[in-house]
Amino acid sequence: MNIVFPYRTLAGEIGFEVTSVKLDGRALPLTMISRDQRAVALHEAERSQWDEARLDVKATLPERELAGGPWSDVVCLAVLTESATNARTVARLAPAGAGSWSGSVVFARDAHHMRAALTVVVVATVDGEAGRAIGTAEETWSVELNERVPARKQELNINEVDFRSGPLEWLQQFQDAPWVVETSGDMPTVHLNKGFEGLAEFLSGSGTPAEKAVRGMLAAQIATEAWTAMFHAAAGDLEWDDEGTPQWPTGWKDGVLRSMLPDVLPELSASDALLEIHLRRAEGGWQELQPRIQYAAARRAKAARNIGNGLRAMSHAAEGD
Amino acid sequence: MEVADRREDFGVWLERQLRIRQMTQTALADALEVTPAAVSAWVTGRAEPREDRKRAVAAALGIDEEIVHLRAAEVVTAPSLKWHHRPAHADGGREFGNAAAFAFDADVAVLAREATQNSLDEQDDPNQPVRVRYTLNELSGEHCRAFLNALQWEEIEPHFEAAATHMHKVGRVIAEGLREMRESDSLLLLRVDDYNCTGLIGADYGDNSKFAAVLRDQLNSHKGTGTAGGSYGLGKITLWATSRLGLVLVNSTLSRPHQGRTERRLYGRLELPWHESNGRAYAGLAGFGETETEPGREGTARSWWATEETARCLHLERESPDPGTSFLIVGAHDAAGDAQSLQEMHEKLVKALADNFWAAMTSGRESRPVLEASVTTLRNGQVVIPEQRVDPADHQPARTRALRAFLDGETVEQRTDTTQVAIAHVPLLVPPEKGGGRGTTSTEHRAVLLVTAADENDREPNRLVCMRGNRMTVMTRRVTDLPLSTDAFQAVLLAGGATGSDSHDAELAERFLRAAEPPEHNDWAKTEDLLTTYARGARQRIEDFRKEMLATVRSLVGRREVKNTGGPAVLRELLRIDAHTMGARRPDRHPVVRHVEGEVDARGAWSVKVEVKLPRRADPWALTPVAKFDVRSGAKPVVAWERLIAGENCRVEDGTLHFEPGAGSASFGGVTDVASHPVTGQMARLIVDLQKAKGATT
Repeated sequence: MNIVFPYRTLAGEIGFEVTSVKLDGRALPLTMISRDQRAVALHEAERSQWDEARLDVKATLPERELAGGPWSDVVCLAVLTESATNARTVARLAPAGAGSWSGSVVFARDAHHMRAALTVVVVATVDGEAGRAIGTAEETWSVELNERVPARKQELNINEVDFRSGPLEWLQQFQDAPWVVETSGDMPTVHLNKGFEGLAEFLSGSGTPAEKAVRGMLAAQIATEAWTAMFHAAAGDLEWDDEGTPQWPTGWKDGVLRSMLPDVLPELSASDALLEIHLRRAEGGWQELQPRIQYAAARRAKAARNIGNGLRAMSHAAEGD
Repeated sequence: MEVADRREDFGVWLERQLRIRQMTQTALADALEVTPAAVSAWVTGRAEPREDRKRAVAAALGIDEEIVHLRAAEVVTAPSLKWHHRPAHADGGREFGNAAAFAFDADVAVLAREATQNSLDEQDDPNQPVRVRYTLNELSGEHCRAFLNALQWEEIEPHFEAAATHMHKVGRVIAEGLREMRESDSLLLLRVDDYNCTGLIGADYGDNSKFAAVLRDQLNSHKGTGTAGGSYGLGKITLWATSRLGLVLVNSTLSRPHQGRTERRLYGRLELPWHESNGRAYAGLAGFGETETEPGREGTARSWWATEETARCLHLERESPDPGTSFLIVGAHDAAGDAQSLQEMHEKLVKALADNFWAAMTSGRESRPVLEASVTTLRNGQVVIPEQRVDPADHQPARTRALRAFLDGETVEQRTDTTQVAIAHVPLLVPPEKGGGRGTTSTEHRAVLLVTAADENDREPNRLVCMRGNRMTVMTRRVTDLPLSTDAFQAVLLAGGATGSDSHDAELAERFLRAAEPPEHNDWAKTEDLLTTYARGARQRIEDFRKEMLATVRSLVGRREVKNTGGPAVLRELLRIDAHTMGARRPDRHPVVRHVEGEVDARGAWSVKVEVKLPRRADPWALTPVAKFDVRSGAKPVVAWERLIAGENCRVEDGTLHFEPGAGSASFGGVTDVASHPVTGQMARLIVDLQKAKGATT
């Protein structure tokens, strides 16, 4: 860890979970809460309109360490934030015995856009100074406002649609393309053209080992393009502070940069690499970086393995003839 | 009057008195100056003498009048006790072990399961819990010798020696037991007590006797009720299998008097393989007790009514006069071998009791549990681990919660909270019995299915525990084919009597499921019993029931099926944005701050020591250390260094750190410039990073 505190903080683990959820006073079925995924889904098809949500939270603090340490006036808080709206809701949890604390976070639908993060912070008086954060939960929960399934969004959207007649008119201009990658919006989307004869069926099908191998090659190609497009979108969208230091983006762009930068600029730390691409875009050297971006995208798409498998399958097929 | 209730019939009592004294009826008749026919009438129960005549009988037998009045069997003192060895079979057949014992692993967990199940099956007062106590007592030195003397060890020792010489499984275990006992000069006793149980009632021999069923017969179950867990009489053998010496002593307090008595019926049973000692061949079985005088059984051992003194010397004294039985396993061991120390055995017993009987130990707010269990560990009678009451909620929190909610009527149809328990019903169609007058149509029984969230630390989540009868666990099934990312849960199925219903269908289901269990009572499947008792289709009904219960669990825990909008799986997998957070991390190829420690000094400056991890390379590294104050959002303010101090593998030049080529780690120190602090140092967390030095090549 590269952070030091000027006072003693908790070493023990802080865990928490959402035990139940109410929308406008109506309890949601437990199936909309996932302990495994640490996610809550708030969108019910039957009742899409609601004003206020209430999350019941139970936290577990290292009780013995707290009792023995230099901390007083310990307070345990549940904190719900969403960077897109800059909303922040804080709720006090009450001790419930044996190191467990519980309480409810109440927030308004209006204050949020689509995904809020929930964490737990422990605050105490240390060395006479009140209100110091002495610990944070290891892992946050994700509160998905528009989802019906409590899962962390981990994949791009894949939209299977006929470009000629689908609901998205702008796709009509690409009607002879098998796919198009779109990087605007909350999550990048790969549009697969259903109007392109056989493509969608082939990708979703099963079949012989040879067919599987070819499918892998095709998927790797689509994915390479998607990762390349996402990297360019993320790099082109960077914001920087007064001193010209680029800031880490949020959401999918953060994930894309963090997963690709170690392959694009392997000898730089993540923050140096971010600065480097920012400088290269502004001051030159961006073109020289293209092969590295291609390489990083191909790695994410597992292109080497998929193409290798494809070639082997074809040579087996040729020998079989 | 209670005494009148429990005393023996005069005739039975008199007959035994004469036999013990080897006195004929005629001799008694002469002494009393009555006709032999009169004595015969008393003995056969056709007549009973007048009170004054009874006093004369007492005088003739040389005993107190009081004894004639009470007519209870005599208490036997230690000198009258003997070991009685069964001679070898006349046909020369030699048995090198008890077949039933081989059916079980002699594991203390198995013992706890079998012995406690037997206790539950023998519950006396159905409105009170059965109480079981397991006590480990390690005897050494004088304590050990005193116990062995009371046991007349010198008499059985040659038999152990003889049996231990045979190189077969049982002989090896005995040899190991003897060796360990001598080397450590200690002996481990494991006592299993139950209270509020019927006790070993009945005569020493024959049918309708629990005593005979447990201590004389093999494979005789003799269970009192139809809900019993055992129906093969195998469970009791785990008592002997747990003893390295094959030796178990018993003290039973009877719920119904036998020979006019209830307390301290003692007996010892030793199971050795066939052996020869002093030139005589022995079958292996031996009994410890009073010498039998009954015609035809002379020379065998009979249970005796012991004095308190004898019970104490044999470590068999019971804690209360409540009926029940104490089994003392002499030379106890855990054959599975995973519990070696006293502490480990103690814990294994607690865990086994909790895991197998959490349901019987769970009660609703208004009711009492069926079972209470505890484990105590002693050394020479001194407490090592105090009596530990087994609390099912400690070991099986989720399942206990599920059952408790059911007993309290607090289950829900759909869970909205992680502590809630969902309920559903699983139908079981019980087919008619073959040729039975009970009708020819199937009866539907609705088994109860409970589901609740698993405890966070549950290492075996997503299981379905199936129970019947007095809530004994028949099997634990893993629930498979769950949708991905289903939250961990525990499920409990209550069938037959376990539903708490005494309806006709519950009774039929109970009987049907019991027939579907193999000897181990750990499955519901096709059995011989099932096929011979029930009409065609019984096997299919069991299959349907098994499938239906899993399907019901899935419907209770599963999420609503959602339209798969994720696109082709082959593509989805390649487009996971969080992929970098999973799987093995590749080693960093740039220097990384591994550890920072420091404090704010008196002037308010941060003074830090920093360790750096370097990837090995031939060129030197040139990097700028950057200190920032941490903030919640926005850019982190950078603070300047007042001073940088070189450490291991490091050189400082103009605010740049130069790390040695080829080094794997380096360190440096630094003090921040107070003037550059946006807030006082005490108020902020400090982050230290390494940046590429300006103008340096990487």
